[in-house]
Amino acid sequence: MSAVASPVAAAAAAPASVPTPVGRRSALAVRLMRDRVALVSAVVLGLIVLSAMLAPWVAPYDPYFTDLAIAMQTPSAAHWFGTDNTGRDLLSRVLYGSRNTLMMGLAGVLMGGALGALLGILAAFYQRVDPWIMRAVDIMLAFPAILIGLAVAAIFGSGLTAVVFALVVSTVPDVARVARGAAVGVMGQEFMEAGRAVGVPDRTLIWRYLALNCVPTIAVFLTLRFGQVILVGASLGFLGMGAQPPVAELGMMASQGRDFLFMAPHIAVIPSLAIFAIVLTANLLGDAVRDVLDPRLQQ
Amino acid sequence: MIVRRLLVSMPALIGVLFLCFCLMKAVPNDPALIIAGADARPEVVAGIRKDLGLDRPMLLQFLDYIVHVAQGDLGRSIISNKAVSEELADTIGPTTELMLGSMLLAVPLGLVLGTLAAVQRGSWLDRAIVAMSVAGVSMPVFFVGLILIQYVGYVWDLLPFTGRTGPVWDGGLPALILPSLTLGSVLIGPIARLTRTAVLEVLGADFVRTARAKGLREWRVIIHHALRNALIPVVTLVGLQAAFLLGGAVVTETMFSWPGVGRLAVGAIVSSDFPTAQGAIMILALAFLFINLLVDVLYVVLDPRVQRT
Repeated sequence: MSAVASPVAAAAAAPASVPTPVGRRSALAVRLMRDRVALVSAVVLGLIVLSAMLAPWVAPYDPYFTDLAIAMQTPSAAHWFGTDNTGRDLLSRVLYGSRNTLMMGLAGVLMGGALGALLGILAAFYQRVDPWIMRAVDIMLAFPAILIGLAVAAIFGSGLTAVVFALVVSTVPDVARVARGAAVGVMGQEFMEAGRAVGVPDRTLIWRYLALNCVPTIAVFLTLRFGQVILVGASLGFLGMGAQPPVAELGMMASQGRDFLFMAPHIAVIPSLAIFAIVLTANLLGDAVRDVLDPRLQQ
Repeated sequence: MIVRRLLVSMPALIGVLFLCFCLMKAVPNDPALIIAGADARPEVVAGIRKDLGLDRPMLLQFLDYIVHVAQGDLGRSIISNKAVSEELADTIGPTTELMLGSMLLAVPLGLVLGTLAAVQRGSWLDRAIVAMSVAGVSMPVFFVGLILIQYVGYVWDLLPFTGRTGPVWDGGLPALILPSLTLGSVLIGPIARLTRTAVLEVLGADFVRTARAKGLREWRVIIHHALRNALIPVVTLVGLQAAFLLGGAVVTETMFSWPGVGRLAVGAIVSSDFPTAQGAIMILALAFLFINLLVDVLYVVLDPRVQRT
């Protein structure tokens, strides 16, 4: 199958792939390596993450240093991505911006994932609280992420914290549903009954028996979710609800570049392209990981 | 079925209202203090609090709030001093127009692309469509908008890209195209991808073989037998995507200066106009609930089997 189409096509052609349980991490790596799209995505995303992490060392210029004499220059040898409207080096700003954007997405996915997983697993384990938790989750689902972001920004003021909070809140209900689904499946297994029969305390049952067995499903879901979370975060940044200038964040940078779109389109286009690259590679990688780890999730 | 679905959405509705109420309450400034002025005596402030009903239990205040909302009273904008309900009434039309416009563009386009990809499975066309839909889901809405504004709007000067010129039937259509295309771009990819999967699945089914065996023309088989069955998951998807569409509408309206609810909300938040922000956010959340309800109802109409379960 072709390089571009394969993970999606594989997902679409569904039952073709055989659900072999992959236990060891090395096996996962090997299978991912065989998938060319996954490999390329992993390398590109890895490079982006690495350069974002190392931004203070690899950035060629100070991302906040303005020099109006060189404002709005198109990409050149001295400034690979050109300069913005105040003469700041765009490459350096994109590196620092990716840092904030990635952190935002990661914080949203990890914190929201942990909270959602906890709720879902508790709902599956304690059937008394199940309807209450799931009803609350339904209500949370009634708020699209962007709206939560707007509401949070309205109350606490704009900022990265507001965006992260919104991303966490919007991740919780979906993860809770997935986690509950997985946990209900595990609850039906014999070892749960056996654990209970020999008097294993609830806490151990929940953490060691139930939660550990739900981790792969939840992890796959969160990998798939990461791209979307970044998109929502960047959109909130674009709307001015996130990081405030002069801090660099990709969505906000695209929004600032919008004012100079007709004179210097690269100021808005380059940060947008950076977001696109992050989300695209994350999505492709998420698809591939899902295909390998959990063929049942393919729909 | 429909009645039960309505009942199920009641808690969500109350949740939405309650959160909006909290939004009003969580505002860092005391409304009584704002009205009385910073140097007013405490007993004056207390008097105003009593007049406004701010000293009563929260639950009563909440019930009061629901009554006000039901009467369409959402307070007054701090900035324009117009009633929030009036401001909202002006913006709901344009937002609805934008959402409908984007769906009118995205749904048929997604269906056609997805069906083409499924029928020509494995061809370069299939690969191109699949690649495009993957790229489409990974693209920020504003990126699509920026490119359309830059090229179609500015460089080639084909279509207007700021503001709304009036209703569609009164010369407003050109101004609606670019915003709708921007917002619709979010949907085309997922719809095409799902349609492809669904059509592929159905093409292998017995009834399709029967239809072919009857000697029906291929396009008839595809449209009447395959596509119709593929529509069911697509409708669900459109409903699920409503959240993204609403979120995308906020971004699109802001970019194109489209006078809708989303732009009103963003503007109100930026200028700390809390009553307006709260009203706009509430309308958006209610719209979301309503779309989901609509999708569920449509689902029953399209697939009578659902009714029985």
